[in-house]
Amino acid sequence: MKPTVGQEVPELVKHPTTRQLVQYAGAQGDFYEIHYDQAYAKSVGLPGVILHGLLKAAFLGQLVTDWLGDRGTLKAFEVSYRGVDQPGRPYRCRGQVKKVAGDQVEIEVWGEDSEGNRTTLGTATVEMNG
Amino acid sequence: MTTAASVVERLRERIGVAAPATQSTVEAGHLKRFAEAIGDTNPRWLEEAPPTFLVALSPAAYHLEEAEEYGKGWLNGGNRFEYFEPVRVGDRVTATGRVADVYEKTGSSGNLLFIIFETEYLNQHGRTVARLRGTAIRR
Repeated sequence: MKPTVGQEVPELVKHPTTRQLVQYAGAQGDFYEIHYDQAYAKSVGLPGVILHGLLKAAFLGQLVTDWLGDRGTLKAFEVSYRGVDQPGRPYRCRGQVKKVAGDQVEIEVWGEDSEGNRTTLGTATVEMNG
Repeated sequence: MTTAASVVERLRERIGVAAPATQSTVEAGHLKRFAEAIGDTNPRWLEEAPPTFLVALSPAAYHLEEAEEYGKGWLNGGNRFEYFEPVRVGDRVTATGRVADVYEKTGSSGNLLFIIFETEYLNQHGRTVARLRGTAIRR
């Protein structure tokens, strides 16, 4: 079935924990202290440790690849981080088809914090199999 | 302010200059640990790199010491990936990063320094597999 404009991508809800941030820090090799050291995070004006932007990007990437499956290929993926997110709170990934031009499909994706604020905005461009 | 201005000037001299290339092999164990860390259990990622994996091979923003004289912390502003070919276990990936732009902006809570990084990833066949653009912010 071909995607159509306005179609919603089935949502993906993640439950990040401080443990996951440490796990991700190791897997990515990003050991910036704001992701696991509460005192350090507060000393630079943050509410506490926060999620890696790229972890949120990975969540949104999964949203797209889960939906796409083997029906097509991801060609471009862009995310912009608009707010900080803390572990221990659900992170809701959502998306909607914005544009369909032949086999090229553009999907708007976003991540919402527990209050419904869109803290990550993005776009995925996929090419559907002909 | 004079210090901040000179940091910006020094960083601007880096625009367009490529950092030394880094080479790494995509290891099955690393892919598995990465997929576990992001909580994506799709078995496809045991063989193939998920969308954001390349940042684990080479940092999205290579270390710029002088930038740390500006503000008190880093923020990631955004990332843009372009994909040309899949990356799989065993691929040897060469990443070359460069500073694409450096500029200052005045935000609601003070001045911010923006550093735009671009990284190009090539596989063992010399073909570009992906490009990444990242916006690092000092605040």
